[in-house]
Order: sequence, then structure tokens, then C-alpha cells
Amino acid sequence: MDTNVATRPATRAELDWLTTQLHDWRTAGLVDDGQATAIRGRYHVVADPARRFSLARLLLGLGAGFVGVGLIWLVAANLDQLPPLLRFGAVAVIWLTLLVSGEALHARSSRVPSPVIGSVRLLAALAFGAMIFQAAQSLQVPAFEPGLVGLWGVGALVHAYGVRGLGPLLIGIPALVVWFIWQVMYAAASPFAVVLALAVVAVLGFSVAALHDRRLTRFGPPWREVGAAFALAMLFAAALPFVTVEDFTWSRWLVAGLVLAGVAATAAALLGQGQQRLEPLGAAAVVGISVALVLWDTGADTSDLDAADWAHAGLSVAVYVAVAVGVAVLGILRDSWRLTALAMIGLVVFTTFQSFAVFAQIIQGAWLFVVLGLIFLGTGYGFDRARRELAATLEGEDR
Amino acid sequence: MITRIALVVVLQLALVPLAVLPQLSARATGDAYRMRVAPVDPIDPFRGAYVELSYPDLRDQDMSNPPSLEDGESGAVYATLVEEDGFWVLGEYTRTRPEQGPYLACDDRHWAIRCGIESWFASQDDAQRLEGAVADGAVATIKIDSRGNAAIVDLQPR
Repeated sequence: MDTNVATRPATRAELDWLTTQLHDWRTAGLVDDGQATAIRGRYHVVADPARRFSLARLLLGLGAGFVGVGLIWLVAANLDQLPPLLRFGAVAVIWLTLLVSGEALHARSSRVPSPVIGSVRLLAALAFGAMIFQAAQSLQVPAFEPGLVGLWGVGALVHAYGVRGLGPLLIGIPALVVWFIWQVMYAAASPFAVVLALAVVAVLGFSVAALHDRRLTRFGPPWREVGAAFALAMLFAAALPFVTVEDFTWSRWLVAGLVLAGVAATAAALLGQGQQRLEPLGAAAVVGISVALVLWDTGADTSDLDAADWAHAGLSVAVYVAVAVGVAVLGILRDSWRLTALAMIGLVVFTTFQSFAVFAQIIQGAWLFVVLGLIFLGTGYGFDRARRELAATLEGEDR
Repeated sequence: MITRIALVVVLQLALVPLAVLPQLSARATGDAYRMRVAPVDPIDPFRGAYVELSYPDLRDQDMSNPPSLEDGESGAVYATLVEEDGFWVLGEYTRTRPEQGPYLACDDRHWAIRCGIESWFASQDDAQRLEGAVADGAVATIKIDSRGNAAIVDLQPR
């Protein structure tokens, strides 16, 4: 056996795995102690390149975000030492330079993906927002005009899909979401309108994500995570006792959003692949339950709870837990820690809020904390058990 | 790749005028009208300090401030303007577009009538200075095009 070979690099996690395997092989008699030591000796520990890459990406993303937000604030500062047209021209030159630079960098380093490209694209998408706001500033467009944020979002999406860049997508999606909810509220504000606006975002998010399973797959996760976050937020809002259909009126924006979400869900169900096509339908089912919870009006007085109030609250908690578990399972299936974390956070916030808002009047002081703690422990135990069982099942299938 | 970048640039550039279309049209093709205003001073999170303006001459004596119509409808509303002592004041509010100008194309989908001329953006220092300077009233020069789109082009203490 040649023991004078050069050692090969491996990360700490890889070596830990190898050590465990060698122990198993020794126990099974497949290798003896000398062979196991020789195998282990062929590797040396190096820092995880993925971790270094993530740190670089984190810093570049943070840097681009800070510079971009700073640029928008500079627009907001209204530097009136410069004429409005000159300010607009300066912001437009910055935007164009960043847009072209990002693509020039991409063309030069297409063989080795670099996080620098992503940060420059992100910065270009933020600079586009600055350009929209500077144009509005220069021409005295009225304050608090939601359409400006909407146009920023559309422009960022054009950028994202035009260059296949994730950075602009991470600007475009939140900008469009903020615009849509703001626009719906601006047109006809009411609690039920909020629930329906959140529903549109939830269904649209899951639908676009399912469509991305066919093409441009790396664009799917952001859409899916937005869909999941807003599905949980919608259910949270719908479960509140004071959210009713009172004062609700339809607005053209809400109708257009619901139609668009319906078309997207249908397209995803028809064109999606495998079980992923069920995700938008699941989101639509959660919308149906949320609407039913709002229509089932048991009154907003939490100081005098009757059987209907308890039933409403109990059903709300049960449905929310089921949906949160569904999102967590989706996170495991899709290998997304963000979805799982989202489900956990949503569940904790929802349970806490429900306990205080609905049950606090009858379970006072220390008992409230005891009951709350037991609810968390029970839910957490159930959650962890479900997660472990699912992970074990998937591991079994892999074998 | 160059074609794709050019397409992104063109599409994004096309979105910018959409953001400012009524104001651009008013500035490019409108005539100037002087109207009396009174200031308030808030901040827009994306665009900074501005002076919120109310128009005393755009409401009847029995109207709230800012004005709103109590006709059970909401949507497009038009304010016809008539000249009075060198300033332009409200003729009447109507739900149908007037055949002749000048008039302002407004909207009351929200709690009050808004005509797109209620904000004057300035630097934070300038907004504070303007607030004090125009506390006793000011005059805004408004450009209005043939469709009632309006933009403020100047604001001076009275």
C-alpha cells in the first residue's frame, strides 16, 4: 500500500462524515484499523469554500443594498443646489452604467459565476428605482403615489427576466407586492380587502414558482417563498376576530389581481410538472378557508366568548398549524431552510397573538404563560417529530 | 446579449415617462394659472420633504378641508376654474368632463378630492423655510393641459 501520496483537501463536514463511515466499516469488518487510518490520512482539512463564497456574497449583497438605498435617499434629500434635470440625468447615467457594467462583467466571467455580478445587477435595479423617484421629484408628482413603486417593480422584473439575473428579481418582487397591497388599500381600504390582496400575492407566488419548474428554475424559490409568506399572513389576518366583510367594496385593482392570480394558478396546474403543480391549488384552498373564516363572523368582543367564538378560534388555530406544517414540509421537500424557518416563525407569532388577543381575557396572569408554554412545547414537539419522520422517510427513499 | 440589454434599457426607459405622464403633459403643453395655497409640512419615505398644499379657493364655504363631495359617488371629478381678482378659483365640481377649459382633472376615490397638485417637493431646509415663509398664504403657479392634467411649476409667498 502506497502511503506516500499527497493528501487531498476536504472540508470539516466531509471529514466528519468520512470518519463516521470508517467507524461503521470497521465495525462491519470491511476494513481493519490500519486501512481506516490510511484512508483517513489521505485527506487534510480546508476551510469550506462555499462558506467563504457565502460570506463574500453576503458582504456584496449588503454593500449593494446599502449603496442602492443610499442613492434613493440622496434623491429624497432633494439636492436643490443642482437643477432637477441635471439630477435626473446624473441618476440616469448611474443606472445605465450599472446596468451595462453588470452585463459586461457577466459576459467576461460567464465560465466562473461571480457574486460581484449579482451585486452590480442588484445595484442597477435599485438605481432604476432612484431614477423613477427622481423623475417624479423633478416634475412634482404628488406624494405617496403607489404607482411609482409599481413601475419600479415592473422595471426590475423586466431587468431580471431580460438578463436572467436573480438580484433584480429580489428587488422586483417586493416592490410589486408593496405596490399591489398599497394600491388596493389606496383604492378601497377594508380588512377583507387586505385578506384578498394577501391572497392574490400568495396564489400568484406559488403559481409563478410552479411555472418556473419548467424553465429558469432558480427563479422559482423567491416566488415560492413570497407565496408561502403571504399564505401564512393571509390566514393570520383572516383568523383575527375583528376582520369581517364590513366596509368592503370591490376595487378594479383587486378584481384584476384576483383574475390574474386565477389565470396564473390555472396555467401552473396545466403546465406545471409533477406534484409541484399542486402547490398553487393548495394556496387556492388556503384562500378558500381564509375567506370562510372571515365570512364566519362570531363578533369582535373578546371579553365575552361564547361557543361560536371558541369554535372560530379553535378552527383558526388548527388550520394555521396545518398550513404551517405544510409550508415546513415544503421546505424539506424543496430543500429550503427559509421555508421551514418561515413556518416556524409564523406558527410562533400566530399562537402568541391568538393567545393574547383571543384567550387573554379568560386565562389571566401566570396561567396564561403556563398554558402558552404548554401550547408551544406541544406544538414544537409535534413539529419536530413530524420533521424527523419526514426526513427519515425521505432518507429511506434515497437508499 | 447586446440586443437583450438594449431591450431592457428601452423597456425600463419607457416606464419612466409613465410615472410622470400627467405632470409631463401639463408642463409641456399646458398654460399657467395662479392659485392661492396654504401649506402643511410632511415627509415622503421615498422622496423626502415636501410641503403639502391645500387650496382654499378650490372648496365652497360649506365644504370640508380638504374638499370632498357628498354625492354618494367616487372616482373622476372635474373642477372648473374661473378667474377672480387675478387668481383662479373654483367654478364648480362636476362628474362629467367639461367641454371647455380650464379645468382640473381630479379624483375622489379616497377620502378627499385630489387633483395632483397637493405636493411641493423641496430639500428639508427649503421645505421648513417655505413652511414659515408661506404661513400666511402663498401663490402657486399651476400648468394645466387641455385634459385637465396639472403640475405645480412655482410656489411663492404672497
